[in-house]
Amino acid sequence: MHWVNWVIVAAYLTIVVFDGLRRTRGTTNIEGYFLANRSLPWWAVGLSVMATQLSAITLIGTTGQGATDGLKFIQFYFGLPIAMVILGVTLVPFLHRAKVYTAYEYLERRFDAKTRSLTSLLFLLSRGLSCGTIIAAPSVVLSSIFGWDLVLCVALIGLPTIIYTVVGGVQAVAWADVKQMFVIAGTMIAIISMLIVRMPIPLDDALHIAGAAGRLQVFDFSLDLSKTYTFWSGILGGTFLMLSYFGTDQSQVQRYLAAKSVDEARSSLLMSAYWKIPLQALILLTGVLVFLFYLFTPAPLLYNPRHSAEVEQKQPALFANLQTRYTAAIGVRQAAARTATTIRRTGTDAELRQSLDAFRASEASVSEIRTEALAAAARASGESSRDVNYIIPRFVLDNLPLGFAGIFLAAVLAAAMSSIAAELNSLSTATIVDFYQRWFRKSASDRHYLNVSKIATAVWGLFACVVATYAATLGSLIEVVNRFGSFFYGSILGIFLLAMIPRVRAGGAFVALLSGMAAVGSVAIWVPRVSFLWHNLIGAVVVVAVGYVLSLGGDGTPGSVGTSEASPV
Amino acid sequence: MTPPFRTTLWRVLGIQFATLVILWLLQSRYAS
Repeated sequence: MHWVNWVIVAAYLTIVVFDGLRRTRGTTNIEGYFLANRSLPWWAVGLSVMATQLSAITLIGTTGQGATDGLKFIQFYFGLPIAMVILGVTLVPFLHRAKVYTAYEYLERRFDAKTRSLTSLLFLLSRGLSCGTIIAAPSVVLSSIFGWDLVLCVALIGLPTIIYTVVGGVQAVAWADVKQMFVIAGTMIAIISMLIVRMPIPLDDALHIAGAAGRLQVFDFSLDLSKTYTFWSGILGGTFLMLSYFGTDQSQVQRYLAAKSVDEARSSLLMSAYWKIPLQALILLTGVLVFLFYLFTPAPLLYNPRHSAEVEQKQPALFANLQTRYTAAIGVRQAAARTATTIRRTGTDAELRQSLDAFRASEASVSEIRTEALAAAARASGESSRDVNYIIPRFVLDNLPLGFAGIFLAAVLAAAMSSIAAELNSLSTATIVDFYQRWFRKSASDRHYLNVSKIATAVWGLFACVVATYAATLGSLIEVVNRFGSFFYGSILGIFLLAMIPRVRAGGAFVALLSGMAAVGSVAIWVPRVSFLWHNLIGAVVVVAVGYVLSLGGDGTPGSVGTSEASPV
Repeated sequence: MTPPFRTTLWRVLGIQFATLVILWLLQSRYAS
């Protein structure tokens, strides 16, 4: 990488880390460390929530997905604003007024200690490992693109994040998120501008070509449960997924617990809803523009340079054959695209239809060769190809002017760091508040809790780095944990919904939680064609139904909390 | 100064609706 790019990356890292170290004001107690003394303005919390969700793999993977599949993935987010509005009027005021540190702490007040500990443990298990994958995914891409050692990439992302998260707590995390969000948005706008400037045909014509290739198809109203991204799975399944994530996942809940007031907390949540769909549309559209760019510029057969080299080395004859066919096919496709553009201006409707059919046929043959190449890469490397994650990095490195690689790398680091920092901070909070303080040291000085919180943050950070380093070998294990995670997300949401029904009792709630997880597990195993977006809905509904029915006859105690805190406002 | 919740709510719904309309127009014009 050119030294100019290195200077940009170094400047970014220096600013983020030093600013984080500077923001230790107010972090002399545990409330300051975990909740910034509940003093953050709504817009900073909102940007922080946005930055946390936007991980590096969203930045590079989703743009790549835009290039290969078009805009239909946007339907996944349709439920988000609905979920934010529901949370804004239900759970957010509820949790904020309960003055808790963790969402799970509230469950003990409402139900009992075992429900709190189980939900918190499930959070620690899934988030601890997923934090490793958040570091691993961009590290693997950077390592392959730049040819750097994987451990170096993990350290480049992980260590600065650990430093400012450990020292500055949530204050440093949130303010770093704000800056990181600007870096990410600025980079995306710069890349889109370059793509538009460098498009060899007028944008309107280019978009017609993208439309012909199916890249601008957004809405799919089919009711097929096996299709992952449809309007209905987005609106219904997506709403429940987002409700679970933003309402019950400590990494998100902690953000709005840090806001100054209930009003600021819900405004911050709504603010992240403001821009989520437009931002995701922009990210996917970037991918579509990259697809168009590569229609007129020779595209690599495989975007992952390491896999490309491995196929070439292990199966040279096959690689040469694929490469020759691919070069010919993209030549035909380019000619077809240009012909369709010319005919749109000068020809008849029949001629235009014919030319678009010819373009689609050429696009299909390019895709066919790419599929063969991806299969060859998977065989040669022994791992799933995930070539889609390499499209944008390769585009930036190969085609944009000096300095863009540095800006892009800074944006990838920003996206990764903002997600990891929030996770580390929330993992540490749950560990200390839900386990250490609850079960081991009930009363100690604030300073003691602050110190162990810092140690817990550092330990979780190092654990995540180790998981990231071994991510390739731990791949199947992590996949199992992620799958297991999807079994209980909806169920945990169900528990929080139950908490808002006054007559539900502790015993019923715990059994309901286990039933919800079992129900989702059964659906996943025996009816695998049901898309994962529906799992959350199933889990939440089963938990609420079972918990309510079990509490109908009982006259047990509704938990130790006063009704003023237990009832929805 | 935090805007009132209701104002924020209408803004959010407005922006989402506007985005969906833009996406719909994009699809209708170009996805043939």
